[in-house]
Amino acid sequence: METQTPQEAQKTLRSSVYDRIECEKICPHSRLFFLTQEYFIWAVWISSIFIGALAVAVSLFVLKYKQYAFYEATHENFSTFVIEALPYLWIAIFGLMAFVAVYNIRHTKHGYRYPLWQILGSSMVLSLAGGVALQTFGFGYSVDHLLGQQMRMYGSQEKMEEKLWQNPHEGRLIGRMLHQSTVPTSTIIFTDDVGDRWHVDVSELSIDERDLLEAEKTVRLIGQISEKDIKLFHSCGAFPWTTDKPMSRENMQAAREAFVMKVQTYKERAEKIAMPQEEASDQYEESESPCGTIAPVRRMQKKSIADINGND
Amino acid sequence: MYYYSIDMEQHLSLPSSDEEVVRTTLKDPNQYGLLMERYEAKLQRYIARLGVRVHDDQLDVLQEIFIKAYRNLNSFDSSFSFSSWIYRIAHNEAISWFRKKNVRPEGHLVGDSDELLSFLSTKEDALDVGFDKDINAEEVGRALLLIDEKYREPIILRFFEHKEYDEISDILQIPMGSVGTLLHRGKKQLAGVLNKDKLRI
Repeated sequence: METQTPQEAQKTLRSSVYDRIECEKICPHSRLFFLTQEYFIWAVWISSIFIGALAVAVSLFVLKYKQYAFYEATHENFSTFVIEALPYLWIAIFGLMAFVAVYNIRHTKHGYRYPLWQILGSSMVLSLAGGVALQTFGFGYSVDHLLGQQMRMYGSQEKMEEKLWQNPHEGRLIGRMLHQSTVPTSTIIFTDDVGDRWHVDVSELSIDERDLLEAEKTVRLIGQISEKDIKLFHSCGAFPWTTDKPMSRENMQAAREAFVMKVQTYKERAEKIAMPQEEASDQYEESESPCGTIAPVRRMQKKSIADINGND
Repeated sequence: MYYYSIDMEQHLSLPSSDEEVVRTTLKDPNQYGLLMERYEAKLQRYIARLGVRVHDDQLDVLQEIFIKAYRNLNSFDSSFSFSSWIYRIAHNEAISWFRKKNVRPEGHLVGDSDELLSFLSTKEDALDVGFDKDINAEEVGRALLLIDEKYREPIILRFFEHKEYDEISDILQIPMGSVGTLLHRGKKQLAGVLNKDKLRI
């Protein structure tokens, strides 16, 4: 019988590994376990691209939906409008999803082989392309609207615009005509977005604008609360209220032109009134109207002065 | 019951490539010994170079590497080389060991690093370092400790483990382009910190 050398007696690494395998009953994890892991990573990646695409779709919807046409009525200037118009939440979601996509691709079997810019670039391009496609089919509005309905905390565009326009002290009102007032004939009874009733003086509105009100659809008004009667709103303009889709470029342009023309008229009228009598060349006398002092007129005047100063 | 050694008969009948051994190990765990036999020395050297210097610690880390590799055999993808796959596990285990022990790599065993300077002096990286091939292992080890950590492992893999770029990419899980960049910068830094006076020329 052969005697064991001390080296042979010493437990080899291999034998200790086998001992542990045996004692701890270690078995290789099943292939399915690893496949599930890999598929899970890919599923999260696909989800992140899809959510990123939805974020892009809603962002596009928000940017298109924002009422650029009336920005002087709602914001101090164009910069403040742009700052408020940007869909920060969705931009953040898009960024987060891009990060999740990169993280997941990096954790796939071959993900580390690709440089960061390639993974980030391809994930962002996929989300952007998906977002454009989804927005084309109206998903941007659907997601925004659905979230607005289901989540009280979520400020959908509809809610934001309503909040923006339901501000009579700032000269904006949203609602619909209830009925014509009997006396005086230039006043209508109007109910606003929160259910308050108003007497609205429509004497300065055009026929088209009155027709719009009479159609009893929701409209937005610009004007001013009367100093004498806090429930009397002097209306200077009426514009249709669209909530179900963003305005087309043509409609937006038309709305913008109509709005600017209207405000411009009030501005010019206010300037004539402000002129010393001898300088006023017109034969007729302008009567002082509350529309000459509404916020958009003031803002346009400010802008004109700034433009003149800038040109000088 | 497992067999702790592989006899000659087994050797003759066993498949040659690592990938085939993995396949057969999944059916017959006794075959795993062959993989351990093939990689024990290489991985021991590798983890020593990474900074696990004490022999007993090396054995502990090696055991963990082989247990982990065994557990994850089904995750081995034959589009990679088995060598890269198990080196990756070794890399991770060495890092875990350092973390667990809360220590930093202590010096580098660079005994057979005589090829490093010839690599350093190759014209491919425009580094004209005219050193003799017979370099002082201790000095290179010291110099390796002085360079940034991110350059150390690519240099060890390339110049001491003689791995190709794609293998280093698979082991460190970084893009191939980054391997080239890290090696280039690492070589530059290493050339800068090598004390030429202390080298045996």
